Amino acid sequence: MKPLEPAERIVNNGWMPGIRFSTFWAMVRKELTVIARYPVEFIASFGRVFLIVAIFTLGGSTFTTTPSGLAAEGGLRGGDQAGLVVYGFILFMFLSDTLWTIGYAIRHEQVQGTLEQLYLSPASKFASLVSRVTNSLIWTGLLCIAGGALMAAMIGRLPVQNPLTGLYLLVMSLAGTFGIGFAFAALTLRIKETAQTLANLLQFVLLVLCANFFPFSALPPFILSISRWIPMAYSVDAFRSALMGFPPGFPELAPFPVEVVIVTVFGLLMPVVGYFLYRRAEASARRAGSLSAY
Amino acid sequence: MSANLSPLRSNLSVTLASARMRLITISRYPGQLLVEVTIPIVFAAMPILLGRASAGPAAGQVFAANTGTTNYVAYMLIGSCIFTIVSFAFWHMAYWLRWEQESGTLEALYLAPTHRIWAAAGTALYSCTRAVITALVAYFLGCYLLDAAPTGGQVGLALLFLGLGLIPLYGLTLLFGALILKVKEANSLVGLMQWTVSFFMGIFFPVALFPPLLKEIALLFPPTWMVNGVRASLLGTAYFFQAWYLDLAVLWAFLFIAPLFGYWVFSRVEMSVRRNEGMGQF
Repeated sequence: MKPLEPAERIVNNGWMPGIRFSTFWAMVRKELTVIARYPVEFIASFGRVFLIVAIFTLGGSTFTTTPSGLAAEGGLRGGDQAGLVVYGFILFMFLSDTLWTIGYAIRHEQVQGTLEQLYLSPASKFASLVSRVTNSLIWTGLLCIAGGALMAAMIGRLPVQNPLTGLYLLVMSLAGTFGIGFAFAALTLRIKETAQTLANLLQFVLLVLCANFFPFSALPPFILSISRWIPMAYSVDAFRSALMGFPPGFPELAPFPVEVVIVTVFGLLMPVVGYFLYRRAEASARRAGSLSAY
Repeated sequence: MSANLSPLRSNLSVTLASARMRLITISRYPGQLLVEVTIPIVFAAMPILLGRASAGPAAGQVFAANTGTTNYVAYMLIGSCIFTIVSFAFWHMAYWLRWEQESGTLEALYLAPTHRIWAAAGTALYSCTRAVITALVAYFLGCYLLDAAPTGGQVGLALLFLGLGLIPLYGLTLLFGALILKVKEANSLVGLMQWTVSFFMGIFFPVALFPPLLKEIALLFPPTWMVNGVRASLLGTAYFFQAWYLDLAVLWAFLFIAPLFGYWVFSRVEMSVRRNEGMGQF
């Protein structure tokens, strides 16, 4: 095996954690600097969230209130509806952002011709992948706060029961989602341009299967049986059930302790599996010489 | 040969060649076409499923009190399918312009003997062919999957509203093209614009739900008249002026105003860009 260059040895063997951290921080800063260079994108993304929220809220309101102000009976209560939609929306925002900014971003590097250069530098490849996670957390986190607050203002007061359990479930769900982002990055290295279509398809398919904007009980039985095989569906169900204070009928997919176990295993295992898949795809691309091919 | 063709015929042949080239290119991506058909159905399914869960058994009645029809599945699908048409118009036109800018061929297009408007018309023709086919397939497939009656009223009138609405919509894209020439960030602007237009046209709700000022702004958008006309003719909901021919007359007015106004703004911006940084700058 080819001996490592001194600089690569320092970074890869972790001799100097300070260097490792400063490399990682430089990558995060570079991503943030790029974002800051596009103020129109910054404003437009907030505008988009506002409009999406308003469209779905007004669409939902045609089913709940008549022009005379009477509310429909027999369905969800106002607070439960707000919680259901807002908490599902938060997890969807992260999922969508992960697919594009972690998964599909590899494609951008390929097209720009910087991916191969990244592999020639001694910097950690893992740090490069994780730096995108940090940006996703900051950027999408801000969008979620803005969108959630707006949605709550339009639909009704947001229920916030069991905040610590909710936080734990959110952290585990996000870890799992980022793992999916790593796995999708691996897939992008293999399927190249088709990844764009697949990311589009995936986010919409998962939007239905994970029932981010409606209860699972609204799904037809056949689709519900598919949802039960997707860990992210349990994340959505457990997260919003806990924060809504377990209203009647929630959680819908499994007893809460079972859902917590599934979400925990998903959060701990998926990043490892995703990164493993990414390294395999990367090694295969390097062997085949297709890292910069697009 | 082309040298013997009349100017109009040769210009039309440029338009048709441009549209055909793009249609051939997209036919190479069947997966992409399949996804495009799926998206409006999934998109409409969100408020439908949320509504069913929120309103319980009375979903149809409450919805009818707000909109004038109990067929909420078709109502939402019409909204999401026209959203697809609007999105395609903005994405395709903006990306054509941006792509020409980035690949360095926009300036060359200005040196060609054919006026650029014919090349733009080719892109518009391609875009609306693709958008209308996608929207129609998605509508009928969505109605079948979500168990709703797709046609309950005057289909011919609905198609007339749709067809007439396309021209002012593509006229609006010229305004947007002017913005792309100035600001350049196509991605962000298209994303924002497609949602803005969808919001104002009442993609999943009647614009009557808006406060007065917002409602007046919404009525300035041709897609608002298009989507309301299609819904009213197919589902029996109310026309803005209570009669189909009055609503259609407004759309006719847009048909002349929007493209001319769009072209005027585009020309002015284009001239200013050519005088300053030049069309090749991106």
